[in-house]
Amino acid sequence: MRIPPQTFFHFCAAHVPLLRALAEVPAELSEAEVRRHIRAAAGPEDELPETTWRRLNELQILVPVEPGSDFYFVADPVRRVVAYLFDEAQPTTPEIIRGYLQSLDALDRRLARAIEGDDLTTVRLALEEIQQTLRRIAADLDETHRCILAEVARYKAERQAVSVREKFRRIVHWMERYVDPMVDILRPDGPLRAAFIETDRLLRRARENGLFNDLPALDRNSRLLRWVERHALRVFRQCRLELQPLYESLRRASFMAAGAAAALDRLARDGPDRWAPEHVLQVCALRWQHVPSDAALDRALRNVAEHPPEPAPVLAFPDEDPAPAAYQRRLWLEGLPEAVGPVLPVDDLLGWLVGRNPRPNTADTLAGFSHLVFHPVFRARFTEAPVARYPTADGELEAPPVRLSAS
Amino acid sequence: MTELPHLREVFELLRSGHHLSPEDEPAFSAVASRHDDYAAYFAPLGLRLVRHPQDFFYFEPEGGETMPQTLPRIAVFAYILIDHAANAGRVIEDYVFNTTFLLDRLPHFSLDRYAALLRQVEVDDLGGLRLIVKSMERLGWVKFTGEDEFRFLRPIHRVFDKCLELARRSGTGTQLESSGESPANP
Repeated sequence: MRIPPQTFFHFCAAHVPLLRALAEVPAELSEAEVRRHIRAAAGPEDELPETTWRRLNELQILVPVEPGSDFYFVADPVRRVVAYLFDEAQPTTPEIIRGYLQSLDALDRRLARAIEGDDLTTVRLALEEIQQTLRRIAADLDETHRCILAEVARYKAERQAVSVREKFRRIVHWMERYVDPMVDILRPDGPLRAAFIETDRLLRRARENGLFNDLPALDRNSRLLRWVERHALRVFRQCRLELQPLYESLRRASFMAAGAAAALDRLARDGPDRWAPEHVLQVCALRWQHVPSDAALDRALRNVAEHPPEPAPVLAFPDEDPAPAAYQRRLWLEGLPEAVGPVLPVDDLLGWLVGRNPRPNTADTLAGFSHLVFHPVFRARFTEAPVARYPTADGELEAPPVRLSAS
Repeated sequence: MTELPHLREVFELLRSGHHLSPEDEPAFSAVASRHDDYAAYFAPLGLRLVRHPQDFFYFEPEGGETMPQTLPRIAVFAYILIDHAANAGRVIEDYVFNTTFLLDRLPHFSLDRYAALLRQVEVDDLGGLRLIVKSMERLGWVKFTGEDEFRFLRPIHRVFDKCLELARRSGTGTQLESSGESPANP
């Protein structure tokens, strides 16, 4: 469907923020996402969102991914215009540059045949196409350069946003995708140089041998050829200069971070004892031990030689303590059966006990009494005698007399 | 060999593990100007005086020495700082050398993971961190600029070298090796 340019540009002029927002989305857009962008960009004076959505489709600013699909992308020409207006560059991949060089090769072949056959029209057309291709190469390289500058600026502006490793991956992507492969294309024996040499040779041939007489056009092409070659090399060097320092510093930082993370991980897993020998940085620590001086040695020897004899130490042997009271009491108790044996039968056991020398106290008297009464070789019984009183060392007992005899 | 200037001071510093950097004047200048003479002087004593590529000096530690308790703590402290800087997207060396650190603003207790790692080396609080930084000051790795403020000195590059060595050992740093960059090779 043919789109009236005036209508198209009127709509674009009224929806600049919306077009920019849509063009910045690199992936496909669902209808819901587009409507969200429409609502976000709409002003109070704007048409209804539904109208905007319909116009986007009618003007083919949004194109469905496939017929009937709910997913859309911004039409390439629109994206290019927006990028151009906002100076938003797209990097050129080495594959695109290689495509240009292949195109240049094909044009060279056509030019060679046209020169051979004196086909002036084809020569003219081929020269125009060569010129166009060379300008595209130059423009695309410029755009790549601008992209890299933007990426470097974005990196510097987003200092806190992402981790060092993530930044490093981004820079590595740029280096590996856009800069390093260009080395193969731009080196002295690479395809760019070869294609340009061939084109230059054909231009000279056209000037010297052909009937084509638009010499200024040939000169313009020759100059452009040389300029593009120099320009490509310069842009490539500039890109490297922009990215290389970032690449180097981020690579180092990234590896440092990896080392530190590995060390901390091992500490968490192994514990400090197993971890330390491999992961801890050693420092020198000399333990300071003084060598004895001559004077000190001399003094020590003199002390030994002049040491006055001393009498042998006398050990103090204290007099033995008397046997403990408890022990003596035990001996007395255990000696009672032997003591009472020869005098059996005893008519009054308590009287016999308190009559012994030294006279026992009340507790010992009762202990001795019990010991003998319950002794297996004796037999005890109460007598008919009246209650008697028995003085002890610390008191007096009153009890009926007990007779003790051998069992 | 003419008499070496500041020999006693240089030796006293180096033997205790101190790293001589421009903060240690006049000892640093003396060694920097006559490094070979100092190295030759110490060599018969079995002491190797190392000049780091970042231009500071230290005695090469002997293997098998008893490891003081402070060294594992310093290592954990430094690794956490580097890990934090990397996660925050900072270029590590730029961050370490161009920042004045406040003890109570250090990131070491900002994450439970860091706190758990510090507990493994018996560091539980800010007081423990202060002791670590004091130990690093004795080694000549940091300089206090205020009561609780400090900045890192050049010899902290030894920690960076260790990190690169560990990365290489773990296989992460093979690209680094293949590109010819390697940790300091004293």
